[in-house]
Amino acid sequence: MSSIALVGNPNTGKTSLFNTLTSSYEYVGNWAGVTVEKKIGSLKNGAGMLIDLPGIYSLHPLSRDESVAARYLVEESPGALINIVDASQLERNLLLTLQLLEYGKPTLLGLNMVDVASARGIQVNPEVLQTWLGVPVLPLVARTGKGSGQVLSLLKNSAAIPAVHFRLDYGEPAEQAIAAIEKMLPAGASLPDSRWVALQLMEQNPVILQILKSQLDVTPLLAICDVCQSELQSKKLALTLPQWIRSVRMDYIRSLCQAAMDTTARKPHNLTERLDALLTHRFMGLPLFIFFMYVLFKTTFDWVGGPLSDILDGWISGPISDGAGTLLQYLGASSFAHALVVDGIIGGVGGVLVFVPQIFILFLIISFLEDSGYMARVCLLMDSTMERMGLNGKAFIPFIIGFGCNVPAIMAARSIEQPKDRMLTTLLMPLMSCSARLPVYALFAAVFFPSRQAAAVLSMYVLGIVFALILCKVFSKFLFKNESSIFIIELPPYRLPQIKTLLRSTWEKGKGFLRKAGTIILAGSVIIWLMSYAGPGGLDVAMDDSFLAKFGGLIAPLLQPLGFGNWQAGSTLVPGFLAKEVIVSTMNIIYHAPDTAGLETQIAQVFTPLSSISFMVFILLYIPCLATVGVIRKETASWKWTFFSMGYSLVLAYIVSFVVFQGGRLLGWS
Amino acid sequence: MAVSPCSLLRLHPGSTGSIHSIEGMNPILRRRLADLGVFEGVVIRLKGKGPFLGPVTLECNGQLFAIRRKEASRIEVNVS
Repeated sequence: MSSIALVGNPNTGKTSLFNTLTSSYEYVGNWAGVTVEKKIGSLKNGAGMLIDLPGIYSLHPLSRDESVAARYLVEESPGALINIVDASQLERNLLLTLQLLEYGKPTLLGLNMVDVASARGIQVNPEVLQTWLGVPVLPLVARTGKGSGQVLSLLKNSAAIPAVHFRLDYGEPAEQAIAAIEKMLPAGASLPDSRWVALQLMEQNPVILQILKSQLDVTPLLAICDVCQSELQSKKLALTLPQWIRSVRMDYIRSLCQAAMDTTARKPHNLTERLDALLTHRFMGLPLFIFFMYVLFKTTFDWVGGPLSDILDGWISGPISDGAGTLLQYLGASSFAHALVVDGIIGGVGGVLVFVPQIFILFLIISFLEDSGYMARVCLLMDSTMERMGLNGKAFIPFIIGFGCNVPAIMAARSIEQPKDRMLTTLLMPLMSCSARLPVYALFAAVFFPSRQAAAVLSMYVLGIVFALILCKVFSKFLFKNESSIFIIELPPYRLPQIKTLLRSTWEKGKGFLRKAGTIILAGSVIIWLMSYAGPGGLDVAMDDSFLAKFGGLIAPLLQPLGFGNWQAGSTLVPGFLAKEVIVSTMNIIYHAPDTAGLETQIAQVFTPLSSISFMVFILLYIPCLATVGVIRKETASWKWTFFSMGYSLVLAYIVSFVVFQGGRLLGWS
Repeated sequence: MAVSPCSLLRLHPGSTGSIHSIEGMNPILRRRLADLGVFEGVVIRLKGKGPFLGPVTLECNGQLFAIRRKEASRIEVNVS
């Protein structure tokens, strides 16, 4: 089956097109570096597989997501390419296009964002592009799906896409070198087009160099490059060979753009200009960001999410729980089955499902931020603070995604250029409070700080960020010896997210939570319930004599100095490592609470306001969950760093909770 | 029109200059800028300066991006 790869600059809409051409859904957003992995989907008309690659500027990769794309082109052999270019940034985009055409595979050029371009007074003539480049050019608006029909029908018969015969003349010295290198390449090897390989080698593309090194001795090849370079220097054409190749391409692109583009009516992006004047204002920018974050939490907990959760709680604890009870009685179920379903499953899983509205609203707002273009501005605003801490502002995009879930957030760190910055971001990610920890705060805040719920929860998130910044400084100083970091971020034009995209991306994020409710939280709840139902003395024992109490009692003494040295709190921590949501379901089971109100009463008896803060802090910091540990291991490729991330967070959680509780007591709080 | 080149940071926000030279810059950043089409001879606009001596926003060929002040000072421009 033929596979077709989507290639293009970052943030040009490749994934949007991928989502319309295939029936799958992948993560989209408005910043450079959303897609960090190769994604595969099958085309809607069954014409083959479509491969979505991370955005690249050139075939010379700088960051890890880019090397995924560059390696794909070298190591695998797609049947055809779809090169997506941003019509409003044509000059820059075509630099990659030329290299893709030299690659020699059948290519389609998708001229995307023609709507954005024409709003900015830029008209691009697809026929001229088609004539010059010799490949089919299709105007597109990938976000709305306009033009994707034509792409599909062209791909229907992908064998009919004509082969590319694009050839740029690089001038005599370079052409001689190309011919010489081509001759020396092993015949019949699994390499792409030989002229392309020669050119990439001359441009010092590390991926190509590495592949060639594994197949032959590259010294004579590099010698040819050196000779060519000194010839260019002596003729005063260019200082280096890569520079020469680039300038030949740029000259061609300039004349092509002059022929194909009408920019006489070019005007700045008005909306972006006006919003940036406010949102990145040197004094107003940061306060505005903090204000938006406050609104985010206010909406999630007070204005919309909280009331919805209460309604849902009423249903689960009322009709659903009662209904299940009646049904089981009618079926003549044993008291064991009755207790398992009502106390274990409905109590445990239902107790977590209650928080679905809050979590979905949080995801909806995060999706809005992602799609609007504001995320890149946040990086800009935070960079000076982050720089002082030894990291760069770009780490803030993964951090905000981490508020949803740490796993995709750690993946998102791939788009950070420097390995050290990437490692720091990955290690600090568990301190970003993910949505799984949210039910714990929501529960405790409702009990102890009913009038200031949003503020109480927000302060947990802020605390996480503050510790991330402090540790960032420490790690950067002692582990990475203050290696300097760099910062560059593209600021995409703002746009109003489409309702369809928003709902879709909220659902994709929230889906995982629901899936977990049906799997790990369900399994956890059943096991916890069984441990609470059974004890050394048999089945249906008093809770204090259960296995769960024995087990929690082992940990409890350690937690005594932190203010929650009871077996109930202790027994939530270990299952919490599997998935943080299980903490709240465990509490529901332990306290036998019929509904959230009942649980709140129980908690108020066991915890004090001070020990509740200490507990929330501990849950915020104590350990990355199992899924996060897995992805840290995968991304750092090191068990040492994986264990380090678990170890430091445990130590940090213990120290901070200790200081909070003991310090609070000294100040006379309770 | 013999104007001596000056640092990009000396431009007034909103005004443009053509790049005279880029020297002593971190090579990774240099490449990334090249990816965005920032070379000698290209016209660049200083859009604004960020908070707390933070990054500066620049525009080149209609693309907005931000880099740190320290790095931006490595770019020398000719104002015409």
